[in-house]
Amino acid sequence: MAAFAASLSRDCPALPMSVRVLASGMEDRLQQDDLWETLLARANDGDGAAFARFLHIVTPTLRAVIRRRGGGLPPDQHEDILQEVLLAIHLKRQTWRRDAPVRPWLYALTRYKVVDAFRKRGATVTLPIEEFADVLPEENAAVPLTDRDTEVMLGLIDARSAGLVRAVALDGKSAEEAGASLGLSAGATRVVLHRAMRRLSGFAERMMK
Amino acid sequence: MTTRQTTDDLIRDLAARPAPARFHPTAAAGGMASLAALGLGLFFAGLGLRADMAGAWQHLAVQAKTVLPALLSVIAIWLALRSARPEGHIKAWPLAVPIAAALALALQRLVVADGPRLAELMGNTAMACLASITLLSALPLAAGIVLLRRAAPTRPVQTGALLGIAVGAFVAGGYALHCTEDSPLFFVSWYGMAIGLVGASGAYLGHRFLRW
Repeated sequence: MAAFAASLSRDCPALPMSVRVLASGMEDRLQQDDLWETLLARANDGDGAAFARFLHIVTPTLRAVIRRRGGGLPPDQHEDILQEVLLAIHLKRQTWRRDAPVRPWLYALTRYKVVDAFRKRGATVTLPIEEFADVLPEENAAVPLTDRDTEVMLGLIDARSAGLVRAVALDGKSAEEAGASLGLSAGATRVVLHRAMRRLSGFAERMMK
Repeated sequence: MTTRQTTDDLIRDLAARPAPARFHPTAAAGGMASLAALGLGLFFAGLGLRADMAGAWQHLAVQAKTVLPALLSVIAIWLALRSARPEGHIKAWPLAVPIAAALALALQRLVVADGPRLAELMGNTAMACLASITLLSALPLAAGIVLLRRAAPTRPVQTGALLGIAVGAFVAGGYALHCTEDSPLFFVSWYGMAIGLVGASGAYLGHRFLRW
């Protein structure tokens, strides 16, 4: 198909200009599709660099899709949605069939995740809070998560992790400092912290429900 | 721009992860069919095929009791697996073919039956039929849902329902070889209800477990 389009635009100068432009546009797009498909196929065979390139190449297209559908949401959430889509592309990349064109697969996946993302954020219109900052009362500031809630949740994870979270997240120490007092390396501390935060956010999600 | 940076970080992070497990539609279908066949095999080993199998198979209604569910099962699993890919949009009308044939058979029986039709519809083993088909479907359906978590259906409820119909119909077609109630009024109603129940369970499980 790509070869056909190329030969059409090269060998037939007699064709009207518009047809030749159309054919060469088609050719570009087909070559682009070939590249996308090659990259994703190599990625699925375990080539990480190819996968990174694939994600970089499709990102502008994904951004455009999200912008087009994302009228109701502030632009700063678009990047979050983009990241959700990128993660989904990774998790579901093996569902692309090599003999099938990549574009319909990618668009369908993106559409699903974008719709899902908007649904999760609710159909409510989000307005930038800054415009209302001086109208809103101050006293609600600390309501969502009280100190008591924090202590309850920290009680749910093991003492060592809870201590680290308290030191880093609440007392503002660095990971190195907090880990040193427990005899952990900076790397190990970050791993423990990361796991603890993930468990805590899981609890928090359940508590919200 | 900080957001731009984190997206690049995310891409780097994703690229460093190993490629996830592959989705094999034929293996999924094969696994479910084997589990369902195994369940039916144990069922037959315990309770046996119908004693008059050879003679009864001459009748169209007896053949339809196995062939129509089998056909429904094949169509449903084919549609379920196609709907399990993001770009796979399916048309569900092929399911109507075996269903319409079954309804026509029941309607025809309703017209020509000479005895009390309600008694014929209720039969003697309706509860055993419902219980056997739904219970024998549970394990293969659960396995199918687990296997399809690797897939990416954009309509998880639909995919789950199709999976349920496929399993329920497969089991119903096998159960028919044990069941001696040959009136289409009976088997279209009760097999249909059992397949519907399994399909509804599949839809629920799809909603719960096939979203991604």
